[in-house]
Amino acid sequence: MVDETTTGASARSEYEDALRREIETKLRAGLDTEVEPRADTHERVQEIITRLRTSDGSLEVKLVIGGFTLEPIEHGGIEQACETCMYYLVHRKWCELPELDLPVEPQWSCRLWRI
Amino acid sequence: MANLLWLQGGACSGNTMSFLNAEEPSAVDLVTDFGINVLWHPSLGMELGDNLQKLLRACVSGEIALDIFAFEGTVVNAPDGTGDWNRFAGRPMKEWVRELANVAQFVVALGDCATWGGIPATAPNPTDSQGLQFLKRERGGFLGPDFTAKSGLPVINIPGCPAHPDWITQILVAVATGNAGEITLDEFQRPKTFFTSFTQTGCTRNMHFAYKVSAPEFGQRKGCLFYDLGCRGPMTHSPCNRILWNRQSSKTRAGMPCLGCTEPEFPFFDLEPGTVFKTQTVMGVPKDLPAGVDQAGYIKLTGAAKAAAPAWAEEDIFVV
Ligand code: SF4
Repeated sequence: MVDETTTGASARSEYEDALRREIETKLRAGLDTEVEPRADTHERVQEIITRLRTSDGSLEVKLVIGGFTLEPIEHGGIEQACETCMYYLVHRKWCELPELDLPVEPQWSCRLWRI
Repeated sequence: MANLLWLQGGACSGNTMSFLNAEEPSAVDLVTDFGINVLWHPSLGMELGDNLQKLLRACVSGEIALDIFAFEGTVVNAPDGTGDWNRFAGRPMKEWVRELANVAQFVVALGDCATWGGIPATAPNPTDSQGLQFLKRERGGFLGPDFTAKSGLPVINIPGCPAHPDWITQILVAVATGNAGEITLDEFQRPKTFFTSFTQTGCTRNMHFAYKVSAPEFGQRKGCLFYDLGCRGPMTHSPCNRILWNRQSSKTRAGMPCLGCTEPEFPFFDLEPGTVFKTQTVMGVPKDLPAGVDQAGYIKLTGAAKAAAPAWAEEDIFVV
């Protein structure tokens, strides 16, 4: 008997892997993202979140406004990597910040990082 | 028999409502089982006008022994120190407070307003309000730092906005039954029995706190409210998750962050839109960390907890 839950889960995981690869390709190709200024203050966080909320929500726009990078950014003596970010789901390798909601890798980073 | 007098200054009556909801023991139990004689209370007192003034004067003169003076609300000093914005029984309330506190065996401050000024005393404090023996964190308040009641104890502070019903009645019973000696107070004169542990103690979200799983929305059963919604449970002293509200719940159990209302700085925020119910961060790290944890320790702990988090911590185990 086919386990539909398992089938559904693996389809989802394939889709997420493909999307993760697509993000990596875009960043490797030199997509110019807003790595700075980092979201150091509450006001800055709100500003970036508002821009994300009012954007068209496309993948590229999320990556640019979020300031995505393929490696951790060291800021204020703290290494900011998805791996340690509050919004990172370790097992799913997923960013659950509602305005991003994207597959990520542990060593990636974005300027909305928070712990 | 212990005589209890309860007055109300700059207040919303929240602590009165709380008191009337008490269950263990109830307000009625105080009278029937624990020998407390309620001389007067804003919602229960029978005397009005001249009769009330007579009663209060009899307490001040010693004609009626005042065992417990309970005060709810701030001491209002405005305008210009006269206290005229809060007149009661023919004179500024603050004058009654001073005279009654001086003759009472025990003085009990109920709720944040009476303890440290609460919301009314938040800047710009237009009513020039004070708590009985504190103004926010600063010792002194209306009665001054050296005040002690006739029993030798300073004001017993039972903070909260409002205080939990049973914190109120249990302390009143302890005092009325001669067990005040067993009440030890912390640096803010709060009974240690209630205010040594944290709101987080007993919180059903502790496992999500441990594995750093956040609840980004109100009312969710999964996730900890500290990371996004500004919950102050890890740094607020209260037994809200040990002595439950209505005997069955608490803010955090209902998916609502703790506001830290038993601490002198409450309400903490400048009330600008977007600052309330939002964890404030500096460079991605929460501004207010759990009590006793420093930034470096917090970062290490979080990294390790994330790495060790089991898969179930990411799922909503409550909907299965
Ligand atoms: S918010 Fe956190 S998990 Fe999401 S992309 Fe940015 S750093 Fe990674």
